[in-house]
Amino acid sequence: MKKLNWSLLIIILVFLFLLGPLLILFFSSFGETLTFPPRNLTIAWYPKVIGMRFFREAFKTSLILGFGSTLAALFLGIPAAYALTRFSFIGKSVIENVFTSPLIVPALVIGFSLLRFFVQFGNFPILLGLFLGHTVLLFPYTVRVTSASLKNFDFQIEEAAISLGAPPLKSFFYMVLPNIRVGVLSAFILSFATSFNNVPVSLMLTGPGMVMLPIQMLTYMEYYYDPSIAALSVLIMIFIVLITQITERLLGLSKYL
Amino acid sequence: MIGKLRVYRIWLLILPGFIFVCVLLFLPMAHIIIGSLKGEEGWTFSNYLRAFSKSAFQISYIRTLKLGTLITVLAIVIGYPTAYIVYRSKWKGVMMSLALIPLMTTAVVRTFAWFVVLGRNGLINQVLKSLGIIESSLKLLYTEGAIVVGLLQLFFPLMLFSLISSMENISTDIEEAARSLGATPLQAFFAITLPLSMDGMIIGSILVFAGSISAYTTPAILGGTRVLMLSTLLYQRAMTLMDWNGAMVIAVVMFLSTLIINWLLRRLRREMP
Repeated sequence: MKKLNWSLLIIILVFLFLLGPLLILFFSSFGETLTFPPRNLTIAWYPKVIGMRFFREAFKTSLILGFGSTLAALFLGIPAAYALTRFSFIGKSVIENVFTSPLIVPALVIGFSLLRFFVQFGNFPILLGLFLGHTVLLFPYTVRVTSASLKNFDFQIEEAAISLGAPPLKSFFYMVLPNIRVGVLSAFILSFATSFNNVPVSLMLTGPGMVMLPIQMLTYMEYYYDPSIAALSVLIMIFIVLITQITERLLGLSKYL
Repeated sequence: MIGKLRVYRIWLLILPGFIFVCVLLFLPMAHIIIGSLKGEEGWTFSNYLRAFSKSAFQISYIRTLKLGTLITVLAIVIGYPTAYIVYRSKWKGVMMSLALIPLMTTAVVRTFAWFVVLGRNGLINQVLKSLGIIESSLKLLYTEGAIVVGLLQLFFPLMLFSLISSMENISTDIEEAARSLGATPLQAFFAITLPLSMDGMIIGSILVFAGSISAYTTPAILGGTRVLMLSTLLYQRAMTLMDWNGAMVIAVVMFLSTLIINWLLRRLRREMP
């Protein structure tokens, strides 16, 4: 009996540490000032933060850029994942290592090197640098997740289509892609969330009129200390949960995973 | 004939991604490494010598290693009992997905939450004041302690998952055998579970350490502009002071550190069953 209570205590303390701050943040978004427990309950910070133009602009930038670089990463990643799971060839493990290497290098170092090489040395516009930086960051995720789903695909189906005379590209789009759509979608969500949440690369490649939402929040936090960031944080959490839930409902992700 | 066509097709699928990573990652990294080794008269180590001799660099470097080690040790000490309990609980799935939440929350949001807890009028200061333990607020933010707390919250799940997955490979029979032969639960843990889950602990440690020494957002928010780690020093050198040579040296040091750690991880993973 005594041992059970010890276990319970440890678990409660650990999870309080892991999740407590987020719960506190949630509750304090309803206070007049940023304190916990919140005093003078209000929901005024929510319309206020939605009304702030620079946050809306940054949200739009994050949305467009996240969407664009996710699509680009999928466009590069799906063929690569297909080749890696379908064929065995010389140098395959080297290629796999190259594909996962963006996960190993610290994101801040990636951002910095892109800033030096493309923007300062190559005179690329900063938007392009930001887009390419996010794409290279997401690329390993798209390869990994679609590979995982391709591993469950029975390539004999595709072979059958090809042996019946379908051209390879057509059989890929009609046979393979529909069967791995759940994997592609998971890769999409994971990549989009990664891009949407990223700080280091976005921070290094921030320019006039080109500010991503987390960077805008960081800037705001330097000057103000009020519940608007708490309210915005809650909105972002809801946004991310919504995306995952909607896609889960629409496609029944968990049924396939 | 068919073989040749096939090889050609494989490379057609792989090359776009391959070239992309080369141009977007390897080329810029090479650019920085070469740049850090160039002075006014050709190749030189002077950028490195200058950076290493600065106390700002030495302090951040030592701090980065120190905090990384501390976070890893804390993750092990807290991780073991937690993993042991979670692994045996019937709520294992629920608890593991709950533990994933800090990893999935936006860095800015997760770190800002600690503001409300550690701030001058934050939860901890208020509680301590109302209990009469302190009179004026303690400075908890912008300290090494704040960074440790923030990074531990973020990377603890990695340790927890590594430990649980290595415990899953231990047959429960061995432990029951020890218990039936008269060992106390604690004895059984130290004699059986601990040694058999050692590889999970090592992999977890490397993941936590590597994450801690390369993280940016958490030390930037919770450490402020004074308590710098290598990552925050890199940002300050580059974006505030425009000291590009110094920043390049730090970037190369961070890059090499993660390469070494990753090499170590690979070697260990290969040796383990």
